[in-house]
Amino acid sequence: MNIEEYISSGTLESYVMDELTPTERTEVENAASQHPEIKEELQKIELSIEALAFATAVNPPSDIKDKLVAKIANEPNIEKEAPVIEMKSKESFGFLKLAAAASIIVAIGSAFMAFNYWSKWQSAEDRLSTLIAQNEQFADNYNHVNQQLGKIQNAVSIMNNSAFKRVTLNGTENSPEALATVYWNETSAAVYLSIQNLKELSKDQQYQLWAIIDGKPVDVGVFDSASNGLLVQMKNAAPNTAAFAVTVEPRGGSENPSLETMQVIGNV
Amino acid sequence: MNPANHQIDQDQLVIRIKAREAEAFSYLYDHYSAAIYGSISRIINDEDVAQEVLQDAFMKFWDKIEQYDSSKGRFFTWMVNISRNLAIDRLRSKEMKKAGKTANIETYVSGIERDNLSHLSVDTIGLKEMLKSLREEEQFILEMVYFKGYTQSEISKEFDIPLGTIKTRLKMALKNIRTVLQIE
Repeated sequence: MNIEEYISSGTLESYVMDELTPTERTEVENAASQHPEIKEELQKIELSIEALAFATAVNPPSDIKDKLVAKIANEPNIEKEAPVIEMKSKESFGFLKLAAAASIIVAIGSAFMAFNYWSKWQSAEDRLSTLIAQNEQFADNYNHVNQQLGKIQNAVSIMNNSAFKRVTLNGTENSPEALATVYWNETSAAVYLSIQNLKELSKDQQYQLWAIIDGKPVDVGVFDSASNGLLVQMKNAAPNTAAFAVTVEPRGGSENPSLETMQVIGNV
Repeated sequence: MNPANHQIDQDQLVIRIKAREAEAFSYLYDHYSAAIYGSISRIINDEDVAQEVLQDAFMKFWDKIEQYDSSKGRFFTWMVNISRNLAIDRLRSKEMKKAGKTANIETYVSGIERDNLSHLSVDTIGLKEMLKSLREEEQFILEMVYFKGYTQSEISKEFDIPLGTIKTRLKMALKNIRTVLQIE
């Protein structure tokens, strides 16, 4: 079994969301017990769904909890009905009994208080760690947005720069919907790529951009499909480039293009 | 919020609930009811019905705890799937399907904008940022599957999108969320 392909097939997501038939479930469970990568991926999917549920939590009305707690308290529960053993009593032990009763009440009282404080402390701890985590998430979000902004500013300056030629690469028969754009500076030879629509590849594959010079393809670098819609800087392309094209290659790229995998092409 | 923080709690909770500790049930409700109620109320718009389903779900967590098998996934996954299934069953039994699932690609409005989520207990800004990092088609699939309770094959039929495409988009959506939340 190709684990990469299995993971990217989407079956694991369906498993976590309980959308599989019993047979399919068993298959996933067997696969997970044999391959730690699959187990790890399942765990990640579960965590994303959990994070999503917490990020989209909605507080229910406060009276529901009382109803539920009352329901479970009314359940027949054998342990609760402990046998009552009658104690033999002697009048002379009256004071001792009273003292014993008092100390039991004190003990129960302090146990209750201890438990009460313990649960308050627990919930405070819990809330604190939630707040810390949220805080970290805010910081991360901020950094992420800041970085994105930098990239966007850079992209806009290239797109607005008249020294860059805009070359639209349209989908080939392999993938008519595919679309990408190359920004090429003929003078400096710099090449930037913008991906509008390229399908997701498996982890052992990458896209490779080629410049067609004198009818021969020249490597302009490899890239992944998930580039967030921003510009990716590629290798330089010589001034006599006539066209650009993208093929699917093994990760790391090839020396010669696999022309039958060509996804998009566009003339300068 | 980093869900990994809940791991120890979840395992301990399962043990304590199996021991029929009412305190543990109370803790479970305090910490998970909002996340569970969120999942239910996105599928069922009627507030009263959603609250009934929430109660049914928690009773089921309590009554069926012996059926939870930790080797097959996290406790929360088990709980959220029970809740989603109860909600979806209710939606179908009450023929509320039409009312609940009127969304289509043209009219669909992101579920987080809906009124009944205005009292979100956790930061909405973080969530919006998170959803913004998704492409529109990924957001749509995530909405339908996760927030509205569609199965992937239902979306495929109703919106005429190939099942493989839906799977890939859902996969990418969850992956991007992981990246934003730094779970990897």
